[in-house]
Amino acid sequence: MSNSHLFLKPGFINVPLQNGVGRYVSQLQRVVLKFCKNNGSSRGMREFIESGLVNFAKENPGVVVYLKPRRHRSAVIKAEYLNGDEQWMSCRNSTQEEISKWLNLLVCQSKNHTGTRIRKLWHTDHPSIQGPWTPFTFRDPKLNLATFPNEELAKPKDSDVSNHERLIELFKKQKLGDLENRRGE
Amino acid sequence: MIYFKKKEKQKMSFYKHSFKLLKNVTSRACYWNRLETRQIHRWVAPTLKVLKHRRDSLGPEPQKPRSSFIEWNYEAELFAFGKRLGDEFDKKLLHQALTSREYANLKEFQAQEKGIELTDNVHNDELIQEGEEIILKTIKEEYKKDYPEDLVNAVCNYLTSEDMLGSLGKGIGLKDIVLTNEFPVETKTLSNAFKAIVATVQRSSNSASAQKFVQDFVLAQMNGKDVYEIWNPAEPYKYLTELLNEKGITSIEPRLCNESAKNTILACFQVGLYSDKKLLGIGWGENVDIAKETAALDAIQRIHKNQPKTQ
Repeated sequence: MSNSHLFLKPGFINVPLQNGVGRYVSQLQRVVLKFCKNNGSSRGMREFIESGLVNFAKENPGVVVYLKPRRHRSAVIKAEYLNGDEQWMSCRNSTQEEISKWLNLLVCQSKNHTGTRIRKLWHTDHPSIQGPWTPFTFRDPKLNLATFPNEELAKPKDSDVSNHERLIELFKKQKLGDLENRRGE
Repeated sequence: MIYFKKKEKQKMSFYKHSFKLLKNVTSRACYWNRLETRQIHRWVAPTLKVLKHRRDSLGPEPQKPRSSFIEWNYEAELFAFGKRLGDEFDKKLLHQALTSREYANLKEFQAQEKGIELTDNVHNDELIQEGEEIILKTIKEEYKKDYPEDLVNAVCNYLTSEDMLGSLGKGIGLKDIVLTNEFPVETKTLSNAFKAIVATVQRSSNSASAQKFVQDFVLAQMNGKDVYEIWNPAEPYKYLTELLNEKGITSIEPRLCNESAKNTILACFQVGLYSDKKLLGIGWGENVDIAKETAALDAIQRIHKNQPKTQ
């Protein structure tokens, strides 16, 4: 995450209302194409309306398309999603291809994603299937048969050899080594 | 020194305002670069500031229903609604399903005042009843296969609650096209409209497609949810004893299996329920009573799991 992402709203990937578990419902509800009839900046939008719009409407019958000509104002796409989100996209000086690509994106996405930073590329509602841990969760089954008081279990788990004993052990090993060396000579 | 500080403060407040307007100005700047203009004129910032101030002093704009916009075509909306869900809808029926009784009554009253006689006062009351029955029937049929009646009822209540159906109605886009007098649209209206839509699917095509509709939208909400989290008996131990009595088992013996960190804030007890030295269920909790109830819940789940399935 770089500094430019600090003020983006963090979020997780999610699907509205289990969309796709039963049937898939395209989440784009309606789209308004605003353009000017004679300004040059709307040229791409006008071309799209002339050549590509009918196909778009045929392919996506679930999206209501409105055309809104406005004098001397730049071209704009306004998308409305089923969850109530609205997305405003400036198409000033965009070409026909650019507009059709953006529209395709709007049809495919489930809400207005601008200004959100996806925290992870995956998400789960159930991070643990094991359930909460208790002191008895991973207990050694050997303990079920143990009888108490039990000297073995009463001992500390780590070895309790003192440094003094360790030194004696080392000294003995050294002595043995010396003996073997002498025999070798 | 003090004077300097004051001036600094003034500067700061100036920046604060200008940040809000920055977006506007920069967009204009881009525009002017294209036209090869040298600078942003001196009047731009103060003018925008005043405009912003006026806008702010008016307060937030009141919400308006989408149907009051210029770009609104109810016919097209209804067509798209049907296509979006992928079912065949009868146009007239769909219109009826979206008309609430209050709206229809108001229309009739207005027509009478003008002296026009409306031939039919259609509203969705009948369809709501019908749709609710279809939804309940489908859920019950689906869950009866695996779960006993109490759980089926719990799931039914959960799935047909006003909030659940209302959110479903909102999710398929009923909020803008439903015909009511109130605005913003209430959850109850949305849930009723959803029920009416289910009935419309049945009347437009057949009951199989209505069932499919309920499965795809309502039953799909159970995806990733545990039935035993939705079903919440008040006294699980009492419920378990009754359940076992029906089966002829009368002696249930709760035993304390483990305890840990007694008399502390992290106390944990594990209780097992036995009958004839056989474990019925095991559970844990912060005290023995809670652990007993959890164990009873576990035992109930185990009994349900082992029950022969009725088809």
